[in-house]
Amino acid sequence: MANRRAFMKSGALALFATGISGLPRFITEAAAGTQMLPMYKKNKTLVCIFQRGAMDGLMAVTPFADPALQLARPGLFMSPTQYAGGSFNLDDHFAMHPSLKSLFPYFNAKNLAVVHGVGSPNTTRSHFDAQDYMESGTPFAKGTASGWLNRAVGLLGHAPTTFSAVSVTSSLPRSLYGDADAIAINNLQDFSIQLKGNPMAAGKAASSFEQLYDQTTSELLNKTGKESFEALKILKSNNIKNYQPANGAVYPNSALGNSLKQIATLIKMDVGLEVGFAESGGWDTHFNQGTTNGIFARNLKDFSDSIAAFWQDLGERQSEVTLMTMTEFGRTVAQNGTGGTDHGRASCLFVLGNDVAGGKVYNNMGSLTKNNLEDGRDLPVTTDFRAVFSAVAENHLQLKTNGNLFPDWSGASLKMML
Amino acid sequence: MYNNPTSQTPKRMIQYAYVFGFLFLMAFAQPTPKMPYKKAGLTEQEAALHLLNRFTFGPKPGQVEEVVQQGLENWFLAQLQPVPDNEVVRNRLVGYQALNMPTDSIVNTYVQPAQLIRLAIKNGFIDKDSVDRTDKPAYRDAIKKMQTEYGYRPLQELQRELINQKVIRAVYGDAQLQEILTDFWFNHFNVSLTKNQIQQLVLPYERDAIRPNVLNNFSSLLFATAKHPAMLLYLDNALSISNENDYAKRQLKGAQRLLDLNAAKKMLAAASISEDSMQKMDAMESQMTAQIKKRKSQGLNENYAREVMELHTLGVNGGYTQADVTALASALTGWGVRPVYEEGPLAKRFSNIPSAQLLRRGLVVEDYFLYSGEKHDETEKVILGKKFPANGGYKEGTEALAMLAAHPSTAHFIATKLAAKFIADVPPIAVVDEMAKTFLATNGDIKEVLLTMVMHPDFWAKAKEKEKIKSPFELAVSAIRATGTDVVAPYQVFTWSEKMGQKFYFYQAPTGFPDRASFWINTGSLLNRMNFGMAIAAQKIPGFKTNLLALNQNHEPESVEDALQTYTKLLLPVSDQKENSERIMSIVRAQNIDQKIASATKDTGGMQDMQKEAMTQINNTPLKSMAQVVGVIIGSPAFQRK
Repeated sequence: MANRRAFMKSGALALFATGISGLPRFITEAAAGTQMLPMYKKNKTLVCIFQRGAMDGLMAVTPFADPALQLARPGLFMSPTQYAGGSFNLDDHFAMHPSLKSLFPYFNAKNLAVVHGVGSPNTTRSHFDAQDYMESGTPFAKGTASGWLNRAVGLLGHAPTTFSAVSVTSSLPRSLYGDADAIAINNLQDFSIQLKGNPMAAGKAASSFEQLYDQTTSELLNKTGKESFEALKILKSNNIKNYQPANGAVYPNSALGNSLKQIATLIKMDVGLEVGFAESGGWDTHFNQGTTNGIFARNLKDFSDSIAAFWQDLGERQSEVTLMTMTEFGRTVAQNGTGGTDHGRASCLFVLGNDVAGGKVYNNMGSLTKNNLEDGRDLPVTTDFRAVFSAVAENHLQLKTNGNLFPDWSGASLKMML
Repeated sequence: MYNNPTSQTPKRMIQYAYVFGFLFLMAFAQPTPKMPYKKAGLTEQEAALHLLNRFTFGPKPGQVEEVVQQGLENWFLAQLQPVPDNEVVRNRLVGYQALNMPTDSIVNTYVQPAQLIRLAIKNGFIDKDSVDRTDKPAYRDAIKKMQTEYGYRPLQELQRELINQKVIRAVYGDAQLQEILTDFWFNHFNVSLTKNQIQQLVLPYERDAIRPNVLNNFSSLLFATAKHPAMLLYLDNALSISNENDYAKRQLKGAQRLLDLNAAKKMLAAASISEDSMQKMDAMESQMTAQIKKRKSQGLNENYAREVMELHTLGVNGGYTQADVTALASALTGWGVRPVYEEGPLAKRFSNIPSAQLLRRGLVVEDYFLYSGEKHDETEKVILGKKFPANGGYKEGTEALAMLAAHPSTAHFIATKLAAKFIADVPPIAVVDEMAKTFLATNGDIKEVLLTMVMHPDFWAKAKEKEKIKSPFELAVSAIRATGTDVVAPYQVFTWSEKMGQKFYFYQAPTGFPDRASFWINTGSLLNRMNFGMAIAAQKIPGFKTNLLALNQNHEPESVEDALQTYTKLLLPVSDQKENSERIMSIVRAQNIDQKIASATKDTGGMQDMQKEAMTQINNTPLKSMAQVVGVIIGSPAFQRK
């Protein structure tokens, strides 16, 4: 400790003496010093993507072989034979939407699994309530203070570090509310001491702040201050601005693409990321949903291409990472009067990882004839979302849950992990 | 299990007399009872600072002296009286259209996006097939055109007014404690803009249910929130219905009878019936079945009943069971929202019905609250050991809530939460117990509970240690107040608060933001607190005008030492400033910005000239250094604490 402080001081003096502009050298030097001692051991990482707005699972991965589907949504029905080079036949019953082209190879390679008919036992069709329940992981209790991913962090069996749980969003999502440390960073480049138009002043101030926080009598401010400055140096030294995705990966220039790129950056920096969270919006397709073109197709292509780029970018790090998507509910089996679909019940989700028993559509879906549907209109929930979340999180992150991940739930996890 | 608070021991009655008489005594009699800060080793200045730290959004320059002059007790008593907006606030709120608009006008002016689309179709501005082409400029223009022609306004404008008024009142208002408590009680009875259905109702909720009641009895807050459409929809009580009443039973029976009739008919006619009529009958039957099923499946929703006990009144360990939750939910069935959206299907049905007729129909209407007897559970219930006989109607819900408001667990839970807000994250037990006693003795009078708190030694014991950490909103507002910043763009406070971890009005869970230091302080948010300090001092926040020279009566500090001493004194008044400035000094010196801040002070005459000059000088090195000193002070640990 004493050494580091002495170093900081001389570094600061050196800074002024040389008068370098831009980012102060002492920060990079300090960071280089820190990097020599590996701070974090390699971890497994779970990346979750929340598709807000309720994705139409029946269009993303469509049970094209069921004639009832075509009857219910003639204008939205798609099948592998219908379009040349169109949707991807998975198992002669389900097909992937053409927009999922970039993910299809991972299904073939058995790293990608689809779970269909997933949803909540709570029948609410309100976005807010359904997201709330899915994120808290308690479908019948609104007052649950913590989110399920935060509880997962708490169950890792070791103390979380600064970057254990990171949401690449502007504010912390409900999933990460709770007692375990979790941070929201919209843009990694913002994780710094900065002053618009005056990097020199920012550099000086950073040094002042570091020492002030080092001396404060408040234990919390002292500890968090230390962690903040350490984290900042690590990020700075990694030159995030000029991050180059590996293996020729090209991220879409979209919110989700940028979020996943930043998560990949954190993973490769070995800062101890264990839970990463990103969001994707625009799934509430009440109007003119479209088929091969249109709102849904565009959105799904962004979704697919972002994930594919992320996976490609990870390269050999893929073995440490599992990615899971989720959405609050599905949409009506029948199309509505405005070329779209309304709020329904079950949807589908995707799980990608080397430890996933992929290449399969996990489902208990019956025929979509009216009398088989929930309330005569919706794909029934045949798999509780907690059965999937617990399977993926417990297995990949090696959680010791003892039923604490999803209180009030005693169901069995879905057997979908290797 | 449940103690009736109206049965009092004589000893407690004496306590009442004392507490009730307290306000009176303090206002008119001499000598005024003194707050016990001297025993805690505090000077009058230190005690005044503590009051300002706890009951305002941070001291303004010179305010500690003002409070001392006024007398600490007098100042606090004045803060306990609700006052209307002062002139500064009123002037800054000129042009805010929604603030005084009745709720129904808000609902019909700031319509939801989906409603807007339907209106645009209905009024012929867009056709049905081109709906939601938001990427097409023509589509957006058509919507805009209708908004202008029909006087609809964008929802974002409403949210902006909600956010800005909070900032303006916190920064410039005199009713500081009222604003602190508005923030506190809103968070206690949290609703969230993340829920689309209530986006139009959050402004009226804070305005009508929270702010007018923050210094009243606790039960007035509980009732105002329980009956407000924002809460009824946020925690779904408006959806909660029961079939255990005459109306529903009649309806279900009727539907069932028709269904049976159809089945019988079908059987009779099975031999000779035509294909066509057979199909019609089938359709009719399935429609009936769906109706019955829908009515049955809607059912009881326990969300509000659970949270009102767990979060609003008794507390999670307050001694209630799941059976109590279900019983309370049943007692509150039928509590819903009066429809006011004019284009909606039901609004007209409820306008202009005389109250006598409403009553006959089993309806109770109060403002935007609607009780519908046809949805209410009329069976007998037992809540917290108390029996509510069958056919209790609307009244049993109000009785149950009144019982919760007066419950000893509630007294303790609310006392703890207030003490955590105003004393320390984990408050001393002794003072909490006293506050809870006062709560029970005064029918939950919030003023009296706060008085008990400040008259207790525990409130003062650790004042010097500055145990509480400012929330991001408190940090931003306190920096603005301390630097006398002119906030032309109040929304920036929201932007920065979000960066620092408090997107106010958007906390999704009914728990509200956890009010403890460990929630506010994490690596990401801490760096942004420092960045905020630098940005505000260096004039880098658009729409914030900070004049550091004016703050120091237009005297330019002669040196860095001088600047430090001056601004530490201004920004961190009274408390251990020597220590603070020495610390910052040693650091600034080490960095060798130990140069003269000012070139010779120029005598420029008028105040306006000085300000002008301050603005033009902003790029000069001395001012930059001064800004840096102030930025470091605001971002320093000392300024995060209060």
